[in-house]
Amino acid sequence: MKHLLLFLFLLAFTFTAQAQSKLTIRGTVKDTTNVPLDYTSVLLLSPKDSALVAYTLTNKAGEYQFKNVDRQPLLIKATYMGYIPFQKELVLPEKEELNVEEIHLTPILQELYEVVVKAAKAPLMMRGDTLEYDASKFKVPPGATLEDLLRKLPGIQIDADGNIVAQGQQVQKVTVDGRRFFGGNTKMATQNLNAESISKLQLFDDKSEQAKLTGVEDGVKEKTLNVELKEEAKKGGFGKISAAGGTDQRWASNASYNKFDKVNQFSIIGYGNNVNQTGLSWDDLQEFRGSGAFQFGDTGDFGFNGSGSNVIYFSGGDREESFEIPFNNLSSGFSNNQAIGVNFNRLKDKKDFSGNYFYSRSDQILESFNSRTNFLQNNSSFTSTDQSLQNNIAGHHRANLRFQNELDSANTLTINAKARYSTLSTALASFQELIRSNTEQSQMERDNQSDKWSGAFQGTAIFRHKFEKKGRNFAASLSNTYSHADQDGIQKSIVDLVNSTDPNTYFRNLDQVNQALNSSNVFKSSLLFVEPINKIFFWESFYNFSQSRSETDRKVFDLEASDTRELNPDLSRFFDNIITYNRIGSSVRYANKGSNLSVGVAASNYNLNGQFSVIKESEILGRVNKNYLNFTPNLSFWKSMKGNKRLSAGYNMGVTPPNISDLQPFKDISNPLYIREGNPDLQPEVTHSINTGYNMYDPATFINLQFSLNTTFYQSQVVQNQTIDPETLVTTFTAGNVSGGRRYTSYIAFGFPIVKTKFNAYFYANPSYTKSLALINSLETETNTLSQSGGVNFDLNPLEWLSLYAGSSFRLSQTKYEQNPSQNQDIINWNAYTNMNIKLPKNFYFDMKFNYSRFENESFGFNQEVPILNAFVYKLLGEAKKWEVRLSAYDIFKQNQTISQFAGQNFVSTGRIETLSRYFLLGVTYNMRGIEVKKNR
Amino acid sequence: MKSRFLKTIVLILITTGLKAQNLVGEVEYRYRIFYDKIYSSLPYLTPQERDRILLTWGSPEGYSTRMKLQFWPEKSLYTYGEPYEVRSYSWQIEDYFIENNLQEQTYLRYMDQMGKTYIVRDSLNPPKWRVMNEIRDILGHMCMKAVSEDPIKGQKITAWFASDIPVPVGPEELFGLPGLILAYDINDGMLIVEAEKITFGEPNQPIALPGKMKGREVSGPEYQELVNKFIQTSIKSKRAWMWEVRY
Repeated sequence: MKHLLLFLFLLAFTFTAQAQSKLTIRGTVKDTTNVPLDYTSVLLLSPKDSALVAYTLTNKAGEYQFKNVDRQPLLIKATYMGYIPFQKELVLPEKEELNVEEIHLTPILQELYEVVVKAAKAPLMMRGDTLEYDASKFKVPPGATLEDLLRKLPGIQIDADGNIVAQGQQVQKVTVDGRRFFGGNTKMATQNLNAESISKLQLFDDKSEQAKLTGVEDGVKEKTLNVELKEEAKKGGFGKISAAGGTDQRWASNASYNKFDKVNQFSIIGYGNNVNQTGLSWDDLQEFRGSGAFQFGDTGDFGFNGSGSNVIYFSGGDREESFEIPFNNLSSGFSNNQAIGVNFNRLKDKKDFSGNYFYSRSDQILESFNSRTNFLQNNSSFTSTDQSLQNNIAGHHRANLRFQNELDSANTLTINAKARYSTLSTALASFQELIRSNTEQSQMERDNQSDKWSGAFQGTAIFRHKFEKKGRNFAASLSNTYSHADQDGIQKSIVDLVNSTDPNTYFRNLDQVNQALNSSNVFKSSLLFVEPINKIFFWESFYNFSQSRSETDRKVFDLEASDTRELNPDLSRFFDNIITYNRIGSSVRYANKGSNLSVGVAASNYNLNGQFSVIKESEILGRVNKNYLNFTPNLSFWKSMKGNKRLSAGYNMGVTPPNISDLQPFKDISNPLYIREGNPDLQPEVTHSINTGYNMYDPATFINLQFSLNTTFYQSQVVQNQTIDPETLVTTFTAGNVSGGRRYTSYIAFGFPIVKTKFNAYFYANPSYTKSLALINSLETETNTLSQSGGVNFDLNPLEWLSLYAGSSFRLSQTKYEQNPSQNQDIINWNAYTNMNIKLPKNFYFDMKFNYSRFENESFGFNQEVPILNAFVYKLLGEAKKWEVRLSAYDIFKQNQTISQFAGQNFVSTGRIETLSRYFLLGVTYNMRGIEVKKNR
Repeated sequence: MKSRFLKTIVLILITTGLKAQNLVGEVEYRYRIFYDKIYSSLPYLTPQERDRILLTWGSPEGYSTRMKLQFWPEKSLYTYGEPYEVRSYSWQIEDYFIENNLQEQTYLRYMDQMGKTYIVRDSLNPPKWRVMNEIRDILGHMCMKAVSEDPIKGQKITAWFASDIPVPVGPEELFGLPGLILAYDINDGMLIVEAEKITFGEPNQPIALPGKMKGREVSGPEYQELVNKFIQTSIKSKRAWMWEVRY
């Protein structure tokens, strides 16, 4: 062995000043009782940066030897389990051999090693003769003093008088971050310093003050305890405020403030404007919600679902029924909006709490023009137009609380509570016209008003348990949603029927007052159990229950000439409905090496139970008691492959029960031109869906590719059959079942860099085809819609100060009417945009956004262009760029309006809403963190 | 160069067979990565984006994977260990194998990185370690601190090695210290790898490299250059690179 060592201990080190000769270094390592330590690591380090030069082990006699060491300054270090590592700088000899003085390793104080290093897992640091450790590893109760902490530390005692005794000697001096604390009174320090603010403790022998002053070593050492304080715990706050005013009395402002530390996050946000912004920006929403921004798996519905996938949607609208905070929402028309919210999150000890309150208010004026052409079977058509002016005033209070507690490693409880309260008032003035020919026209004027408040509460609790057997899981959920709405309204309509020979008795001028009380209570519960069959097969079983009870109490009063109210028994209704849903299902999953296959079946039962009368507790006019039992198979497959590729496919059968209102044998004539009638024989909608998809992304070339094809076949589709009175042109809708409808949608996309990091392109196309069937005047009518759409986006970042984004999208929607080909429609929506961000000298920035949209429908000669140009110039001010002054110009061409086009089964509609157009704003922003320069697509 | 003394150690260990129970064994590591911290440290983010990531995606627990190292005086094998949780679905499990041959001073890395499978073979060239004056206990082994740097990934590496297990190997791409590396940390907590269990003696189930290895064969410096280029282009294109390259 020895010559192996001799032969192989060849050590080299790149050393610029070429060494004249190589060194051989040898020595012995022993403990304090002179016993040789074998198997000890001996290291040679470079003293200037502790770089490892060479190392070896000692033999049985505690001897070590390095050969052929380059001549350079060296540090020798020896380390052995349970001993304080020893180190010393070597004095290099003239000759080639160096016999290092015997190294004696001192054992680490047993108590110190056990308590500090092992039990508290605190690293022990050697600084010359100083031992230092991390005091934060020792648990002390909150509010404890340094003295309490010291009592816990090994080798340290506090005597009756509060003096510190370390390693048998009294501590003379306590310093904080190296400085004397309160004139060296140790008790002052130990009794006043908060233990939680201490990060490290060092105990060492310091020179006496005398020696320090004179610089003459007097040999007197003072036992010193140095306390290092923690850097301030991670803590911070940021906020911003901005205000802008402009032409036509336009204004916009917003402000937010966040404060957080390791455990707590608090934020407040508010905005106000009359430029149609009715929600937070996505970024602001994230900052506002903080750690509560993204919560998954909170629905508590287990088992395979109707759509065959578990996708989480983020939709930002400010809808009445939503519990969520609105974001990225730009409304139509003209609106005046305000909002304020507070959020608080706390994450500690596996207990996550998050809560917020948000109030938003909007006063909106919508002036719209809608036109709808209905086709009749005899190649004729009639058109209805609706010109309306609407004023909506809505206010929404929303509160969300979430608490998740990981009780232990096996059990987790999640509780969600959501509440909302809304007030809405609407005033609508509308003028409707039915045009059949120049001579046959009828007109209606409507004047409706309503006031409503609604409130809802939702509570959900989810409990998850992991069994000891790996992969065996259980989950249970309970949820309750209660909602209530109270609406009062006035409905006035004046109908002028020019060509009516058989006036419907319902159909007449209206002057009514209505009251509606709606309430519903939904109780849901789900169970899930997963049993691993082996490592790759799993058996999953679930049970879902839900019961929803809803009550609708709608009273309509006719206002007679004398202004006395008289209940209208034809329009007043009281509904009491209960829908009970039970589903039990099971599936077997295969999951291995990225491949996942699941095959399952469920039995679902819907029980629809309802009754109605004119008013509550009056004679029951109709009852519905339906029971639907279905077996629904389900298949899903996905495979992740190397190189970021993913393939998926699935089959799913969906069952949706009819709406009870579609089942009730009852005529709803609240809109006299469109009457709805129930159908007690209605069956659930049954669909078969097949989905396939593939996507890949190559991170090295940035090339990505996506493909998907989704098809849905309707075994039984709930459609609205229509009967149009050829005389009065009043349409009556009745829900019915039809089979044979289908839908194909697909998406293909390809993205790639043209010049890497500078110029990227993305192409996409999503063609779709829909075949729908409905009975129109008792005749089966087939409508086929082929939609061809696609687009392209380019990102160009040629220079540090310039970014350009441009793109275009196109959609041609061709609707063919089997029974009425002359009415076929080709609707074109075309859009092109270009955005530019330029960074100018002196912290000036210029952004420009141009968007061009074109809407065409040749058969009606409809052709509308909407070119919108926005431009922004802003300058950042101050050294930290915390201030911004911005001049914004919106819709410079004054062209903005909201356009919609749609071709349905037997109709084509277009809509136009007058919307806020050209305005200019001048604004100032202050951001505590500095202004964020955003590049916009 | 420096690898020569590594080779020496191997030969001492093999030939002496000193306290052999400490020379062969298996270590299970918890590989705990904190993507929020890494993500928020990317140079192209605005300070506001950084705050947003930490506020919304901040995860004090990090994301854990179990890794396994088997060591002998002359070689080491490293790959994924048993997953912490048995789940009824399976994501793509990428291949990640590292074999260090201390006798011949070579390594073989078979890994899916940057969207491709690479087979990297080269001679072992230990990083420049600096040994510090700090000790810590890991699973009953007194460990010394050593630090190093990875300039390509911009990492400050703090490793803890047990000098009583004198096999100069460690988890991931680390090796070359006078003892088995039982823990390491990158950039003060962006990645924490720590031994959870050490079993001495011949491992029950030796890690087997895949029978047929398909992939692009590159040398160590070539691979380093690929990584370097990938990181540079990703940063230029404002894309996060750490999803595609082992941190």
